[in-house]
Amino acid sequence: MTAWHFFKHLNCTPALQLIRSSAFSLSRYSSSLFFVSIHTTAPDQWPPRAQIKNAHANSSTPSSSSLAVQSMASPVPVPANYVSVLLRCNKDISDMLAEALLSFGASSVTMNEDDVCPGTDEICVSSIFLEGEDINTSISYAADSIGLKEIPRYEVKILEEDDWMKGAQESFHPVEVTEGLWVVPKWTTPPDSQATNVILNPGLAFGTGDHPTTKLCLLLLHDCIKGGEYILDYGTGTGILAIAALKFGASFAVGVDIDSQAIASASQNATLNNIGPDKLQLHLIASQTSSSSRDEWPFSVVEGKNASEIETVTHKEKYDLVIANILLTPLLNLAHQIIFSAKPGAIIGLSGILSEQVENVLQNYSPFLEGIEVSKMDDWACVSGRKRKNIGIC
Amino acid sequence: MAAKEILTRRPVAATIKLTVPAGGARPAPPVGPALGQYRLNLMAFCKDFNARTQKYKPETPMAVSITAFKDNTFEFTVKSPSVTWYLKKAAGIESGSGRPGHVTASTLSLKHVYEIAKVKQNDHYLQNMSLEAITKSIIGTANSMGIQIVRNLD
Repeated sequence: MTAWHFFKHLNCTPALQLIRSSAFSLSRYSSSLFFVSIHTTAPDQWPPRAQIKNAHANSSTPSSSSLAVQSMASPVPVPANYVSVLLRCNKDISDMLAEALLSFGASSVTMNEDDVCPGTDEICVSSIFLEGEDINTSISYAADSIGLKEIPRYEVKILEEDDWMKGAQESFHPVEVTEGLWVVPKWTTPPDSQATNVILNPGLAFGTGDHPTTKLCLLLLHDCIKGGEYILDYGTGTGILAIAALKFGASFAVGVDIDSQAIASASQNATLNNIGPDKLQLHLIASQTSSSSRDEWPFSVVEGKNASEIETVTHKEKYDLVIANILLTPLLNLAHQIIFSAKPGAIIGLSGILSEQVENVLQNYSPFLEGIEVSKMDDWACVSGRKRKNIGIC
Repeated sequence: MAAKEILTRRPVAATIKLTVPAGGARPAPPVGPALGQYRLNLMAFCKDFNARTQKYKPETPMAVSITAFKDNTFEFTVKSPSVTWYLKKAAGIESGSGRPGHVTASTLSLKHVYEIAKVKQNDHYLQNMSLEAITKSIIGTANSMGIQIVRNLD
């Protein structure tokens, strides 16, 4: 198998773009192209188990075997077409039909309120089927299973993936997180040019400044950063937290994520904000629970050219501030890594958790943190504290 | 965007039903196409759904029902898989017995039932039922599928 080098190039060059797009059309269907080398150490060993591909942005000497596999603009290829089926059926049975369709191969079923046909008892039910499903069979089984005497008449529409992707991105507008701090889509001019503006093109990654957890973390960064800090952003998504931290005066930030979409989006956003590799580095890391049932890009890890370049990103006690806006389970699983990477006395911020999950996080982290504070917004919470100075690290 | 009942009378645009693995919502099919066509905030849904399903075993297929409002906001409710799904999974079988009561498809212990009851208790519509009541109900379902429940499996 070929060893592929993962490079995140901040500046697209035409030559690379060509390679990128052809690599893309292959990558979806031949995941064996990726050299899978997942080194896992036992759970209780130091240093943390994630093997990292060293992907220094903007490498100055692209070797001939290197390929920039991330595309800046287009997302991971998914089945290009999916089919929308419009059915008409009696209002009374629409719920049952929906459940039946889901059991027989529909990927989702939607009942549009506006499609209730006046004067009749019928309602329109639209259902999405992914490529490869036998629609006629699915519908006839579904109808049969709920006792319909005949298959409802239906029409089929083929839709492009662009349809829904564009729709999803339309919900992003400028957000004023706090006074003097705005998060702005790249296609909008900042409402306040004097403020600190984080410009983003989120793609399919998380972090537009809209979500309560992002806001809580941004506020934490805003309050805590004095200047010159080393930041670690665990679960960087669009890179919004790392980029904002740098704008607040931090000297260096590292963003890690298990999703290649996120790293692609983050590196593009770094460029949008004129942040170079000397200030921000992004790393794609292996998921600890990589599930084989996933349809997408497997979480494969690529070995770098030099063994010495493979260092775990979460260096021992290197960071002045570690922020992790992910989910409860990864926060608990990664507790050791997160604490480990922070300097004694460093600030650690944890979010992506619901208020009801705070207790669980506190139980796991309070042995290591002091001065713990919990901030909340809507149903969401952010737990922050300083790493205790005298932890016995084994 | 909270997983609660509809408290306000905002005009509803559509009701979307789909199945998403617990903790595994991504901006890709099935979630992407279903939500994108109503201009809903995909990433917010994924974050919300994933956070609320952290307590379930990863990849458990959750039944989600999303109410999309005309102003592009949404609410959703989540249901864990049916009891029959859990029973089949615990017993390692594809389907129940063709002749329940006469032919046993498989056997499970009371401990299995108890574990399932604990998971189902998380479901919103079962929150008022006692664990004992849920357990009895599961045993009933198991019997109707031809799955025998015994005290201990040795």
